Amino acid sequence: MFSKILIANRGEIAVRIIRACKEMGISTVAVFSEADRTALHVSLADESFCIGPAPAKDSYLNITAILSAAVASGAQAIHPGYGLLSENARFAGLCAQCNIAFIGPSAEIISKMGDKDEARKTMIAAGVPVIPGCDMVKDVAHAKEEAARIGYPLLIKARAGGGGRGIRLVKAADELENAYHAASAEAQNAFGDSGMYLEKFLSPVKHIETQLLGDFQGNLVCLGERDCSLQRKNQKLLEESPSPAVTPSLRKSMMDAALKAAKAVGYYGAGTIEFLLDNNGHFYFMEMNTRLQVEHPVTEMVTGIDLVKWQIRIAAGQPLGFSQKDIQLNGHAIECRINAENPREDFRPSCGKIQLLHIPGGPWVRFDTAIYQDYFVPPFYDSMIGKLIVHAKTREEAIRKMQASLCELVIEGIDHNAELQMELLAEDEVVDGTYHTNYMVQRRK
Amino acid sequence: MLKKGLFKKPNNRLEGAEANKTPKVPVQMMLHCPSCKTMLLEVDLDENCFVCKNCGHHLKIGARKRITLLTDTDSFSELFADLSSVNILDFPEYDKKLEKARTESGETEGVLCGTAAIGGMDCAIFAMEPSFMMGSMGTVVGEKITSLFEFATANALPVIGFTVSGGARMQEGILSLMQMAKVSGAVKLHSDAGYLYITVLTDPTTGGVTASFAMEGDILLAEPHALIGFAGPRVIEQTIRQKLPAGFQRSEFLLEKGFVDAIVPRTQQQAYLAQLLRMHRKEHAL
Repeated sequence: MFSKILIANRGEIAVRIIRACKEMGISTVAVFSEADRTALHVSLADESFCIGPAPAKDSYLNITAILSAAVASGAQAIHPGYGLLSENARFAGLCAQCNIAFIGPSAEIISKMGDKDEARKTMIAAGVPVIPGCDMVKDVAHAKEEAARIGYPLLIKARAGGGGRGIRLVKAADELENAYHAASAEAQNAFGDSGMYLEKFLSPVKHIETQLLGDFQGNLVCLGERDCSLQRKNQKLLEESPSPAVTPSLRKSMMDAALKAAKAVGYYGAGTIEFLLDNNGHFYFMEMNTRLQVEHPVTEMVTGIDLVKWQIRIAAGQPLGFSQKDIQLNGHAIECRINAENPREDFRPSCGKIQLLHIPGGPWVRFDTAIYQDYFVPPFYDSMIGKLIVHAKTREEAIRKMQASLCELVIEGIDHNAELQMELLAEDEVVDGTYHTNYMVQRRK
Repeated sequence: MLKKGLFKKPNNRLEGAEANKTPKVPVQMMLHCPSCKTMLLEVDLDENCFVCKNCGHHLKIGARKRITLLTDTDSFSELFADLSSVNILDFPEYDKKLEKARTESGETEGVLCGTAAIGGMDCAIFAMEPSFMMGSMGTVVGEKITSLFEFATANALPVIGFTVSGGARMQEGILSLMQMAKVSGAVKLHSDAGYLYITVLTDPTTGGVTASFAMEGDILLAEPHALIGFAGPRVIEQTIRQKLPAGFQRSEFLLEKGFVDAIVPRTQQQAYLAQLLRMHRKEHAL
């Protein structure tokens, strides 16, 4: 086992990883930007290194500074968390060159799955259903040809895309040309790669993802699914496991497909396969995330498996201590993302000092956060400041518990979306579990 | 603000046996930008033609690397590689110096010559090697460049030259100074035949090289902030006993005074040179 791990992240996920390390007897090294000097993860870790100015590109994405901190502190492994460098194949490769274990899959797997076109081809070859679409298009004329075959509405997507960038919805043929140029220019700017492909636009759909865990020895398990359909602008708001839309037989086929997909690439570590599920029970591969997900706690609650601890054990070469037949999904878990933003003012981000903080408690209530009383929420990073997770025997009980917990959550000094979450959890489609990915748009109308 | 040492360390023993792993940054993986001191990754530098992404400083690169970066893939074919210097004047320690230079640079001489294509346009090309006795010009450097011009004249090719040099090689005395005239003669014949010669002056281009073929190009380009001059600024200051103006002998200063035609960052050189070569195709001559 690693005696020391550097956590190349900030906020609640850095805290989450440090907690796992503390349980495992592993020393921790935090890295922080000049704006995060007073952050909780810095205080919790055994050692800490300032790695640059506030903007993430100068600090949390500063590969040379992070690797230097790891070498200076003698860290044997780096946990990248989610976002930032977690899916950066170059970073994973450089860690290996420095004899540092990257807690995640290899650089080759990351780049294979990061290239959306390549991932799609891999899935087709593995026999996993993919969204009807086409391979890379050469130019507008080629795109028009393929679009006529696929049919409208469709999505133009960047090969290197992510975070909702480089994607355009095309409802009819006359919109194609403009959308193609806009999306490829956006992708060129954001990812330095303007390669595009087309995909049928499926609506309404649910976003269902399956959690995988694999080791170096070739053992692979699927830890059920998460329903992440409640989204706003491609950002998830609320997640739950199991999904109210997934029947036991559908679950079995989705899990089988996910395992087949992961086997096809020789996957190891924690990973997620995202699917779109339509109203007829057909599901299609969307993408694979080769890292820990923000919403991993709902899976942890229903399976009783600590994903972060297993990520670390796998990276240290330990085989999985359980097989697929040992996995049981117990009860129901829901996670609400608490974001520092004002839903009444078009979700304007908020920052400032936490004047008063009360964190909900009680049985099966978990609040993953890095904020504390008098903490100053800096304006430079993601607006998510916490995740409230509850677990109960049934979905109905979980919703009741979440409502009660949200009431107890008090964060004064900054705007946040807890009230919106309470409203959502009282709305019919959320209560009966029939909400789709377009729910937030439909709701506004 | 949380006070220091607020959280205690748990009494948990390490789960399992300790891994035997010591992290280490391999040599060559990272380096400091000599100008802004930012740590840079070799892989990033390679993608950016060895120009610092933070401050735009042009790092020193070897002749072979430069040619690989700026010419079409696999188009370079080396010429006159068999020529190498000997200690003709029996100059003390010169043999050792040559041996050291060969080991350090991995090259046999202070200049690399050959033919290549840039943007699909054929040309003769030479690049001086900074880690071979600071690109100093001895008889072999002079001979290789002269031969390249003669080859280019015979084969109707334009010449592109990248200069970096501390000047004439003092260990070869007057023989190295004579190379200035010899190369200039070959440049003149190439020019009289109607062919194009472009020089790209890189940091530093000084001494006899500046006083001859570096400044004889039809088009003189320079890399940003390159030192270009004959005698060094310190020597001049001590001789004339005057303070030199800011930026003296830097490429921007030379551009302002009309000694170079354009300053082209390394990342744009390939496209720029390809365009110049395309515009000066012989078949397009009036």
